[in-house]
Amino acid sequence: MMEEYSAWLLNELSLAARDLVNPTKRVSLLYFASALFFAFVLFTLRDRKRAWRRILPLFRLATWWSPSARVDYGLWLGNRLLFSLLFPKAITTLGVVTWLMFRLQEVGMSAFPVVIPDWGVVSLFSVCYFLLDDFTRFWVHWLMHRWPWLWAFHRVHHSATQLTPFTVLRTHPVEGVLFYLRSLVVQASLVSVFIVLFPGQVSLLTVGGVFVTTYCFNLLGANLRHSPVALSYGKQLERWLISPAQHQLHHSVDVAHYDCNFGVVLALWDRLFGCLQFASDQQKLHYGSASKLDQMGVFGHYWSPIAYLAKRGKQWLKSPAVWWSSRVKKNAKSEPKGSNISL
Amino acid sequence: MKKTILAAFIGASALSLQAQTYDFPVSLPDYQGEATSSVAYGGQIARHALHNSLKKASKSGDLALMEGYFSSKQAGLEILDPVSKKGFPIKQSHIDELATGKDLMSSAYPGIITGWPGNLTGQEVLQQMVTNAAKTKGGYDPVNGYDYTQLISKFAMGAVFYNKAVNDYLDEKLAADVKPNDKPYREGAPYTGKEHVWDEAFGYFGAPANSLALTPQEVLQIVKQNPEYLAEADANQDGVVDLTTEMAFAHAYYAASIDASGNTDYFHTIVQAFVDGRKLIQNAQGKALSITQREALKGYAKVIADAWQQVIAEAAFKYAGSVYQDLEKLAIIEEANGDVKKTYRNYVKHWGELKGFALSLQAAGRDLGAAQPQLNRLIGFSPVLFGDAQVVAANGEGGFIQSGSIAMQEYKLNMIKVQNLLSEKFALNAKLNDKTGGMDDVLKLLQSAPSVEND
Repeated sequence: MMEEYSAWLLNELSLAARDLVNPTKRVSLLYFASALFFAFVLFTLRDRKRAWRRILPLFRLATWWSPSARVDYGLWLGNRLLFSLLFPKAITTLGVVTWLMFRLQEVGMSAFPVVIPDWGVVSLFSVCYFLLDDFTRFWVHWLMHRWPWLWAFHRVHHSATQLTPFTVLRTHPVEGVLFYLRSLVVQASLVSVFIVLFPGQVSLLTVGGVFVTTYCFNLLGANLRHSPVALSYGKQLERWLISPAQHQLHHSVDVAHYDCNFGVVLALWDRLFGCLQFASDQQKLHYGSASKLDQMGVFGHYWSPIAYLAKRGKQWLKSPAVWWSSRVKKNAKSEPKGSNISL
Repeated sequence: MKKTILAAFIGASALSLQAQTYDFPVSLPDYQGEATSSVAYGGQIARHALHNSLKKASKSGDLALMEGYFSSKQAGLEILDPVSKKGFPIKQSHIDELATGKDLMSSAYPGIITGWPGNLTGQEVLQQMVTNAAKTKGGYDPVNGYDYTQLISKFAMGAVFYNKAVNDYLDEKLAADVKPNDKPYREGAPYTGKEHVWDEAFGYFGAPANSLALTPQEVLQIVKQNPEYLAEADANQDGVVDLTTEMAFAHAYYAASIDASGNTDYFHTIVQAFVDGRKLIQNAQGKALSITQREALKGYAKVIADAWQQVIAEAAFKYAGSVYQDLEKLAIIEEANGDVKKTYRNYVKHWGELKGFALSLQAAGRDLGAAQPQLNRLIGFSPVLFGDAQVVAANGEGGFIQSGSIAMQEYKLNMIKVQNLLSEKFALNAKLNDKTGGMDDVLKLLQSAPSVEND
């Protein structure tokens, strides 16, 4: 029993370590190196000799071994173990696509009547997938800042007071499940429709087995979004693409930066929802959720959202009408993020 | 000078071709007999001829005839298939010319087959199918949806040939103390223990000795006995096709067939591994194999077993697609109040092929994990019949019990799931008759596993 447990633990930990060389993962060392190179080139063009000074904070031990960073690592490994137990029982995307495809055919959907060359189908599918995936990521993220019970879980990500590339994995497992469900809905709906319309032709534009936009996004500095390096793309480009510095604004503890820049790749969605803010290479920010959670350890990060929900649930059971009216009033006041949650 | 180089080149090419043919000289240093070749797999080819003949006999309704090829080991049995055709003469006409005292029954998989009703062993399943086939007209049971000709043939290939090769010769018999290489297989034999073990596995695969010089398309034409391909078949140019070395059978035919249609190379991969493994044994020159040599040999055996399993899974994948198509046709004909007889017959035939191959995957002692019960539940004990019924169990007298099941058209969804399961479990490449639209490959590209990467 103990031997099996140890073997499983070792296997999962080695798989976690392998993420560092896996090009499908954002924390891959390849993307880390390329992001640094990209930042160095841009800073050299903008600032000449001071380029090194700009990226130097990323090499400080204080950044990588701060209490905040240690929570990042704890959640990364903890989630890895938790998801290895959860995933075999989860609904698979393949099963949902199969069912949806069959139902679509049953209601009369059939192959597209005009023959489109493979490259056309692959391009169309890739563009549709990119837009739908990027928008739904934005939208779910936006909702997480709007709904208190979702914010309770998402706040785990925002409690990082030091941003490191591993902060991308600082996620509560409940939020991880929500991410999976979002991805399942997007992939299952889009793939099933395309498979029925263009059977045997659907594929994705990839580079080395990775979706081309994900590859470019990761290669060109995605790891700097969660880092002490403020890299702005400039106002013109930031109207279209979310820069690392813009995402850092999203993490800022300053009230002026609350609820801005929810996007992942495209800035378009933030513009449409009126929440885009421009960033600067010179910005000096403090990060965190401005709550007790910022000082908590790994266990606190797992437990506090559940404790919050339990407390709210208890209140609701006691008096649903009172709870609802208080919730409506609070929403009407449009308070800054996190202020309606006490720990 | 030019002539010398050319002669050397031709000589080297001929030597290389020789080395690529499945024919090896005697390596035993103390051998005193007259044989020059150490290769022998006549017993396996006799079983291939028994299988082909049983398939023919299964349509006759004559139990004694079927039993003759299935389990009797009797002398004087005529080969019913393949037989000489105009422009394509076959050297042998009787089983005894290949080997004597052989049958299919005693070599079939002795383990339980969970995918067939009645909790029967592989041997018992085949025996039941043979007995039941004799009670039908032309091997066809429309009431339970069984095409015994297909069921017997496809399952026998797995339960006998695939099972004996990968579960016995390429597995247990590669152990150091079993049939060692420094002794003759039996007293006076011109081959060592390991040489013969390897050759028997090759014989069960059913490929011609000169397979590496043939294209998959040529192999198909040889099996079809196309007179235009007699020259390719008749490798020794004696005017007749020798079933032992110049004909393709069973899974070798299916491997070539899949390669000819899909973008795969199963046939040559398997044959090349057989040839390379045999060269390795040959190079030991009648001495016991070292640990390193045996490990290398096991490596070749794994290549063979894995690709062989993929060939069977590819065939099952293809027929799941055929069943799906038949169900679509049935729906159209039913809606137009047409005659479904012919389409239903094809549906039962294709289901028999699917089921036979799916059962074969389970008949060689290889652990399929969760895929095995999933496959059995999705395919069921019979196709979904008119009235939305399916065979759910066997009674005590060899008959079958039916019960209500899913709707016939819902069964199409099961076929898509079967294709997805086979594709994922066995890493299939050809995927002929794909009804999934390629969703498995797309989802792999999309990396559809859960991720906790935040925004």
